[in-house]
Amino acid sequence: MTEQTQTALSGDIKWKEHKQFLHYCLNVLPQPYTSQDSNRITLAFFVIGALEVLDTTDRLKPEEVIEWVYSMQILPREGQQNSGWRGSNFYQPSAEAGEHDLGHVAMSYVALGLLLMMGDDLSRVNKEAIAKSLAQYQQKDGSFSPTRVKSECDMRYVYCACTVAHILNDWSGIDKELVTNYIIKSQSYDCSIGQGPQQEGHAGSTYCALASLKMMGTLDRLPNKDGLIKWLIMRQGLGFCGRPNKLEDTCYSFWVGASLLLLDCYHIVETKNTRSFTCGCQQRVGGCAKWADCHPDVLHTYMSFCGLSFIKEPGFLPVCPMLCLPQKAVDHLETIHNSWRS
Amino acid sequence: MRHSTQSLPFSERDDFKDITPVLQDDGEKPVCPIAYAPEYVDAMNYFRALLDKNELSERALEVTTRVIGLSSANYTAWYFRRLVLKGLQADLREELEFVSEMSRDHPKNYQIWYHRQWIIEQLEDASNELDFTAEILAEDAKNYHSWTHRQWAIKTFNLWEKEIEYVDKLLLADIRNNSAWNQRYFVIFNTTGYTDEVIASETEYTISKILLAPNNESSHNYLLGLYRGRKLSSSARIMEFVADKKDKWTFCAPFLSLQIDICQELNDIEQALELCDKLIGGVDDIHKKYWIYKKSQLETPNGQ
Repeated sequence: MTEQTQTALSGDIKWKEHKQFLHYCLNVLPQPYTSQDSNRITLAFFVIGALEVLDTTDRLKPEEVIEWVYSMQILPREGQQNSGWRGSNFYQPSAEAGEHDLGHVAMSYVALGLLLMMGDDLSRVNKEAIAKSLAQYQQKDGSFSPTRVKSECDMRYVYCACTVAHILNDWSGIDKELVTNYIIKSQSYDCSIGQGPQQEGHAGSTYCALASLKMMGTLDRLPNKDGLIKWLIMRQGLGFCGRPNKLEDTCYSFWVGASLLLLDCYHIVETKNTRSFTCGCQQRVGGCAKWADCHPDVLHTYMSFCGLSFIKEPGFLPVCPMLCLPQKAVDHLETIHNSWRS
Repeated sequence: MRHSTQSLPFSERDDFKDITPVLQDDGEKPVCPIAYAPEYVDAMNYFRALLDKNELSERALEVTTRVIGLSSANYTAWYFRRLVLKGLQADLREELEFVSEMSRDHPKNYQIWYHRQWIIEQLEDASNELDFTAEILAEDAKNYHSWTHRQWAIKTFNLWEKEIEYVDKLLLADIRNNSAWNQRYFVIFNTTGYTDEVIASETEYTISKILLAPNNESSHNYLLGLYRGRKLSSSARIMEFVADKKDKWTFCAPFLSLQIDICQELNDIEQALELCDKLIGGVDDIHKKYWIYKKSQLETPNGQ
């Protein structure tokens, strides 16, 4: 989108500042981001995703991004079972090592997302190994650990595993029945969905569950959809919050918004409210924060932009609610899938 | 040396002289590079080297401590730390103290909470878990991680006995604490179960809480939750409560919503639509579009 077009559009949106903020982040993330080095690829995902949704990609160099993303893919090694993506280049084993080079399902998801955004054809992705490895991540109760060595298992990694299988078009590593049952068991008495069975319902885990069911083709099996739709819309005040009686936060314009889209119910959202709240959370330096008087961060920036896309704010490109990716990237994925089929 | 306060970079330590640090290779054109703190670069150079060597030693433990201190979400550092602890047959009670301190500093970090769970699993001793999670919840009564861990400890080690008392205490402090309401459901579901008697007594309990804070979504959700798969209109207590308040609580959106649900059960669609109109007309202006949608659902026989 040209600068002239942006100027002609709403004066409420801080186009210039957002562009500056995102370009800055593309070049360098300030020192406090050190603590997030192990998931740096997710930060790149948010920055580049935000630029894509803002239709401001002139500074992006797809070939460079693609090379950098592939540099974090774990390549097959004799006698080693690690595959998928690392969170950054914080570790690259020597030729003789490799045992501790853990692939992480969330990093694999965002890596694939970045490749799709940059128009890559996924030909250098170790598809079969990654798809099959998901079986090691899946637990007996249907949930997923993020790595082949067990750690915390919850709905976030259910979602990441499903997106990986969906993008690679290979569900051979996932027991869909087991996952569907895990999700259904995680539905709370208030119809929302928690991180796991009997845990408190939360908009984030609700989104992860709904999107996963949609990808698996089992969304029709979820009971109490009417109650869930009501729970979701009740998250809206001005902005959205994640649980009853909690504070509103811009990222929920994605988690709740996308959930309602997946349930074909977005039309019940009071769009002027969500617009007002999100606009109020734009920061002077660009980017969006979770609240009005806060530092911007790349996650809330991307999620806010997705939320603005959902209300069809002019200048924001469409976003696929199921994959949390710009629609353009998802269209590209479909082209890739078609080429695999032929 | 686990709680080493040495701030000397590993590159300047005699006890690390034999290790060749491994520098990060981020490629020629890295994307979103981070302006790392220098102490992080130093720690990671040695962490990478130790991973390559697969060295499960005290100094490896120290390196993971420093890495975790600077980047507490580093999943490889936590995983390797567990290998080192097992390799050293370390005193996990000391490790429990370490992870407790980390949790106090980073109460919303997933890896720290999992590490705690792992320690408790190894020790097979959850005797302090209710106290510890209560400590975190005293700071933030809705901390999701703390509730998850608390539920895990209760289920795994059968610590149900005093939990309803704890829930009651939290609800007295904040009737709107949705996490506490969820915990109530968790305890009852897994102990007595929701028998007819329990549903009746919980109905009484919930109505008493609704009377204290009529607009509290959490208590209304709990009440509806009690009757999922059952009929609200089958409860004499609920019907009495509704009859008592319906002329007074005309501006209470969740109460009108409850009445709509009952009307739907009793097939009194006309009354349900009237109540929707009240909500649309100002009682629940923010969610007006939802109530318009609800009306259309009520007006269509058998839903859409």
